[in-house]
Amino acid sequence: MATAHGTANREYATSHESFLRHKGFRWLKIATILCVIAFAAYFLTDPKPRPSGSTWLGYTLGTLGALLIVWLALLGVRKRAITEGRWSLKAWTSAHVYLGLSLIVVATLHTGFQLGWNVHTLAYALMMLVILSGMFGIWAYATLPSALSSNREEMTQGQMIDAVRALDRQLDDAAQPLGRAQADLVLAALAEDPFGAGLLRRLSGHYPNCATQAAMLRMAGQNDAVGERVEKLLLRRKAMLERLRRHMRLKAMLEVWLYVHVPATMALLAALTAHIISVFYYW
Amino acid sequence: MTFRIRQIEQTATGREIVRDRDCDAESITIGRAAENDIHLPDLAVEPSHATITDRGGGRLAVDATGTLGFVLDGIDSRSASIDSRGGGELGFGTYRITVSQDTDGAVLLTIRQVDTAATRSGDLEDKRGFSLQGVLPGKRLTSWIMGIVILLAFLAVPVISHLTRDPASKKGVIGDTSWNPGALSAGHHKLTDNCESCHVDAFVSVRDETCMSCHKDTHDHADPGRIAAARGNLPLGDRILWSVAHTFGKKGPGACQDCHAEHQGPTKLDAPSQQFCADCHGQLKSNLPDTKLGDASDFGKLHPQFTADAVIDPMTGKRAAVLLGGPASEDNGLTFPHKLHLDPRGGVARMAGNLGAERGYKAGGMQCKDCHRPTEDGVRFKPIEMERDCEACHSLAYDKVGGIFRRLRHGNVDQLIADLGARDYRPSSPAETGRRRPGEYAAGGLYSFNFTAPAWHGLQLQGALSKNGICGECHRPTTIKGKLAVVPVTQPMRYMSHGWFDHADHKQEKCESCHVAGKSTKASDLLLPGIKDCRTCHVGEKSQKDKVASSCAMCHGYHATASGSEKAKPEDKQAAMQSD
Repeated sequence: MATAHGTANREYATSHESFLRHKGFRWLKIATILCVIAFAAYFLTDPKPRPSGSTWLGYTLGTLGALLIVWLALLGVRKRAITEGRWSLKAWTSAHVYLGLSLIVVATLHTGFQLGWNVHTLAYALMMLVILSGMFGIWAYATLPSALSSNREEMTQGQMIDAVRALDRQLDDAAQPLGRAQADLVLAALAEDPFGAGLLRRLSGHYPNCATQAAMLRMAGQNDAVGERVEKLLLRRKAMLERLRRHMRLKAMLEVWLYVHVPATMALLAALTAHIISVFYYW
Repeated sequence: MTFRIRQIEQTATGREIVRDRDCDAESITIGRAAENDIHLPDLAVEPSHATITDRGGGRLAVDATGTLGFVLDGIDSRSASIDSRGGGELGFGTYRITVSQDTDGAVLLTIRQVDTAATRSGDLEDKRGFSLQGVLPGKRLTSWIMGIVILLAFLAVPVISHLTRDPASKKGVIGDTSWNPGALSAGHHKLTDNCESCHVDAFVSVRDETCMSCHKDTHDHADPGRIAAARGNLPLGDRILWSVAHTFGKKGPGACQDCHAEHQGPTKLDAPSQQFCADCHGQLKSNLPDTKLGDASDFGKLHPQFTADAVIDPMTGKRAAVLLGGPASEDNGLTFPHKLHLDPRGGVARMAGNLGAERGYKAGGMQCKDCHRPTEDGVRFKPIEMERDCEACHSLAYDKVGGIFRRLRHGNVDQLIADLGARDYRPSSPAETGRRRPGEYAAGGLYSFNFTAPAWHGLQLQGALSKNGICGECHRPTTIKGKLAVVPVTQPMRYMSHGWFDHADHKQEKCESCHVAGKSTKASDLLLPGIKDCRTCHVGEKSQKDKVASSCAMCHGYHATASGSEKAKPEDKQAAMQSD
């Protein structure tokens, strides 16, 4: 891989290397060095009266941290242009992850462990929220796709929907001879929107009010052919729904962190602006 | 086995045409070619696509015969088994075949062409349901709202409030509390809600003049020019840092806030680190050649020997700097050997033992505390008072009338002359004892002489003020302005005028640890310890485990350099300001 620089093109770069392992953990090493330097500077200097953001080291770490934050946030711009080579999107993402983690050290040492109820700590807290959500994202991206793929069993999302619909059509047909009470059960199951669940339902994968389940239980033990058929169809619908819900749960976990990560980043940029301007305003 | 094939077609008006035909076979074929049992005219269907075989018991096997598979209940398959009682839905191209069982037990295959454009992968709208897009508020919207709220609350409100406020009004800037990076020092605590009282102008660092507007009496440590000279050439790193700081509008080095860093929690603002002092005093001699001060950077490592401000001429009370650390002497006017008084086996100890508890003396002899009484605050010692501290032994009684002892008055030579002079006018009591001596010698007899009791020369007018007289026990006789007198006594309360020392903080030490009084035979011995003695406990700011970390500020002041006077060390800013 090392010789692939510059000459790399799509044909040659087929073997997959994740953004975490990019170039033999290059950015992990760089970020580690950065942290070690920050730690060394923090513990080898003895600022008076105490370490804080307003010592020379504090200002240096603060400047570095602010530049890092702005650059990290630019991934949102950069990711919309996928390129190859030295500054490939993968390299950028790898750097984003590891430099982002190094911010924990840089920014914490910048604070000198002086935290309080103010805009400065707000910026710090938002930054930590962004980093923590990002760490969740890395975990999700590293572990969930395999779970997602084993759950799908080569079905596409469209097929999952089609499958539910196919069962719905059959249920609708099969349930025609049923009486009012049972027809209502089937109707409730059919009316249930698989995508109607909210965030918590999706993330927990727990659906206590599932109408299909309820209908299935109430239809159990039917001896006539129609009832038996409807029950079997409900059973299949339930199985398909469960697969679909597992899929939704994994998808939700893959996506949900971004709903924290991105808005918190923008909030962080705002708080960072307020932090820096306020410091110089009351200089 | 009967397969009932039900073809449902729609007319242009939407009416459904249902055609049933039965097909008795074990297996039927599906494909685009006309000879198939189920003929599906769709290019996406292969000429011979699949077969449906009866497996008995209502079970059907569906197998793809060509290269393409089919869809069963939405899932791609090439081979599947269907229970016709449960049913299933097969998809071939745009055709859908619903499998079920008719009332007579025949397998019912309902064929319908799906006229919607829905593809097998479903349409995009449906797939969107898997994502969180519809479930959570959009990332962009949330970002904008949070960003704007933060900028408004934490930036726009305080800035606008600051720019538009009336400087004369007492009302503070709205919302700037959120800018406070840390609690103010204890002394400035009441300014917490008045940021603008120090941060007067936007983007202008806090100026010394602002500090001085309250701290009016704060002295400069020295002439600013001399301070600058003493600071000398800063190290390269410091120069770079200061050039950066100056770029951002900071004053200094030497501005108030360079030492007194604010917003560091509710601490005391004074007592900066020794480095602040060492920056100049570490190499003061080379930067400021005419200074009288020695270099000092760390008490344990570099600090000049102490000098005591001791009396050298008792007649005038003149004091001079006397270097400590070796044999040092002063002349306070007294004649007093400490050794004689402290010797536990000497006559003084014996006499103290005899006097005992009546005067607070212990049997073991005199103790330092018997004469040296601490001040109320315990910081230092009161001057010796003759009547209280000496007279138990050094009696000033010169006569006894009846049961009353007549005493000289200490400190008043004229009175002494009067008292002793008057004493001689009084007829002495006879020396006779009441017994008669043989012969004519007797009171009232032929020969009689009234002898007075023998009196000590030192208690007589002629001898009292001599070296061997009662005053000469402790004082040195002299004449002042032609009159008999003793050399005046000066008892300095403090010998160190540029530093603080607190005896109360050293209670656990014995007096002798620092003041070697037990060996002193002369009153002129200056019994003050040198720096070496202090260093047995005190080292610089960075101390080893068993030593006392002592920064410059432990003993010295910055603004009030000379206030190490008779008073206790000022503990707070107010006191420091007043003591200047």
